[in-house]
Amino acid sequence: MEVLLPKLPSFKFPTPSYCRSITTKTSSCVRVGFRRLSSLPVCASTVNEALADPTVDSPSLGHSTRPHFPILHQEVNGSKLVYIDNAATSQKPTAVIKALQNYYEGYNSNVHRGIHFLSAKATDEYESARRKVEAFINASDSREIVFTRNATEAINLVAYSWGLSNLKPGDEIILTVAEHHSAIVPWQLVAQKVGAVLKFVNLNDEEVPNIDQLKELLSRKTKIVVVHHVSNVLASVLPIKDIAHWAHDVGAKILVDACQSVPHMTVDVQDLDVDFLVASSHKMCGPTGIGFLYGKLDLLSSMPPFLGGGEMISDVYLDHSTYAEPPSRFEAGTPAIGEAIGLGAAIDYLSGIGMEAIHEYEVELGTYLYERLLSVPNIHIYGPAPSKEVKRASLCSFNVENLHPTDLATFLDQQHGVAIRSGHHCAQPLHRYLGVNASARASLYFYNTKEDVDNFIHALHDTVSFFNSFK
Amino acid sequence: MLFSIPTTTASTLLTLPSPSSHFSSKLNAAVTPKQIQLKLSVNPPLTASSSSSSSSRGVTDKLNNLASEFASLTEPIDRVKRLLHYASLLPPLDQSDKVHENRVSGCSTEVWMVAHIDEGRKMRFKADSDSEISKGFCWCLVWMFDGAEPEEVLTVERDDLVGMNVGLNNVKARSRINTWHNVFFAMQKATQDLI
Repeated sequence: MEVLLPKLPSFKFPTPSYCRSITTKTSSCVRVGFRRLSSLPVCASTVNEALADPTVDSPSLGHSTRPHFPILHQEVNGSKLVYIDNAATSQKPTAVIKALQNYYEGYNSNVHRGIHFLSAKATDEYESARRKVEAFINASDSREIVFTRNATEAINLVAYSWGLSNLKPGDEIILTVAEHHSAIVPWQLVAQKVGAVLKFVNLNDEEVPNIDQLKELLSRKTKIVVVHHVSNVLASVLPIKDIAHWAHDVGAKILVDACQSVPHMTVDVQDLDVDFLVASSHKMCGPTGIGFLYGKLDLLSSMPPFLGGGEMISDVYLDHSTYAEPPSRFEAGTPAIGEAIGLGAAIDYLSGIGMEAIHEYEVELGTYLYERLLSVPNIHIYGPAPSKEVKRASLCSFNVENLHPTDLATFLDQQHGVAIRSGHHCAQPLHRYLGVNASARASLYFYNTKEDVDNFIHALHDTVSFFNSFK
Repeated sequence: MLFSIPTTTASTLLTLPSPSSHFSSKLNAAVTPKQIQLKLSVNPPLTASSSSSSSSRGVTDKLNNLASEFASLTEPIDRVKRLLHYASLLPPLDQSDKVHENRVSGCSTEVWMVAHIDEGRKMRFKADSDSEISKGFCWCLVWMFDGAEPEEVLTVERDDLVGMNVGLNNVKARSRINTWHNVFFAMQKATQDLI
């Protein structure tokens, strides 16, 4: 079996201690037979003059970035850690950890309020992080980036602020059955208050949301479409640009849950023409406790506050207050300053590698994971099969017949140090629709390697054998 | 594949079925089928038949029994194997009992537990799960508490059985993955409600 390997990208890491640059090889992708591959996944290509031996193969993205992630180099339960639960949360490179440390050691101070030197510096760095997010998703203005605690809070912000003031009885909100609970529950809560109705798009035979059904559900009653960009269970990718277009055609807004896309590929909000988009820092090498809402400026400007408090006000009287312009209007209280700066450092790190390079690598590795999983007897992998047209995200949710995913995950952890997730992955409606209570999920990120996948598959075979021996 | 434990001796050799040839549990060491020395306390070893004559031995005795049995299994994989053995002994619950009202809340697997108090004022328990490891926990808990007096059920502390918690030894907090604790709490709560 052959695999198409990506050409090695040129990536420079902006932090001084990580200013490594690896020259791009000049060849295009080369087909390499697996038998030739040694322990290093290779990108065989023409030689970089720095390497004397023309047969030395350059490391993959996974191998070259792994050293930046201290947490990956440990043993758990007596085995080397194989961390493949990245859809749940990602690990952080030293650059991000250092950024947080530098903040607290060097210039921790409350933002926007103080006059003194430290406060000015903290404010600058905080706002610089906002501009980094803006640039990362190609927003047109940094005022379109609202920092929140995470994507869940961002969706709640839209539901309570935009939703409560724009939805009327009988208005429809379209979602898919594959949405994360964070995309469903806030709208249930708000719909209950205003008398709006939630409508759900089912899956088709390829286990992907049925786009034809989505088009049929759209009507002038639709006020907002809430959809994922990349599914955290099915690994499928929705045609957001098209969906946004169709939504706008009926006068509806679109909110995109980009938690599983922003960390893994280029996302351009202007190109997609979405009204709202949310993501969480902790899934993209940034700290927990920070995420963001992107909203078109005219929309945000029309929205009432969500949380009240300091920073989001203009003037405060005893009987009423006036409110600030976005984004401050939606950032009540002291923000997670260090964390926002950490997110900025994560964006610098990812940009240094390049989102195209990350995506290309993950498509390859994800396909490899999928194909190797198929070697496990009686396995069912959810979502569409990968192909030229269908590029899956680098994750696989699956079930092995007669083996509960929790038992599977427990054994994998206990005996092999492999970290996957088992459960409903915050998608109970989806699991109910698929007819299962739970599934196991392995999810990769750019610092995973072919060896991680091989070790996981070996461990999985071992696990299946073990439980079969008890039947 | 089931295997039986001889009933009469205080210490027995337990031969486990040999796993298939590519069974290797850790990256660095191959695991071969083991003969496990089963060190038990003075009480008779665990069998399926002993589960009915529970109340005369007392919950505390059985708890000590289980605790020392699992403590003697130093390799986590052996605890898993033991639990899977017990899982095979658990009588399945009627489909009619596998309803929402009987679900033990807070578990990442599906666990059902049915409790009632009998004419002799003894607690009767039945439990089942869709996960084999959870079934093993269920069997142990049912074995301990079925037929016990309500007060006995309520006096047991969860920390007494920490050693049984396969692979999750470090999670002391209440959480979804702590099936063991959740079922235990459910049994205690049901007891509390019935008396």
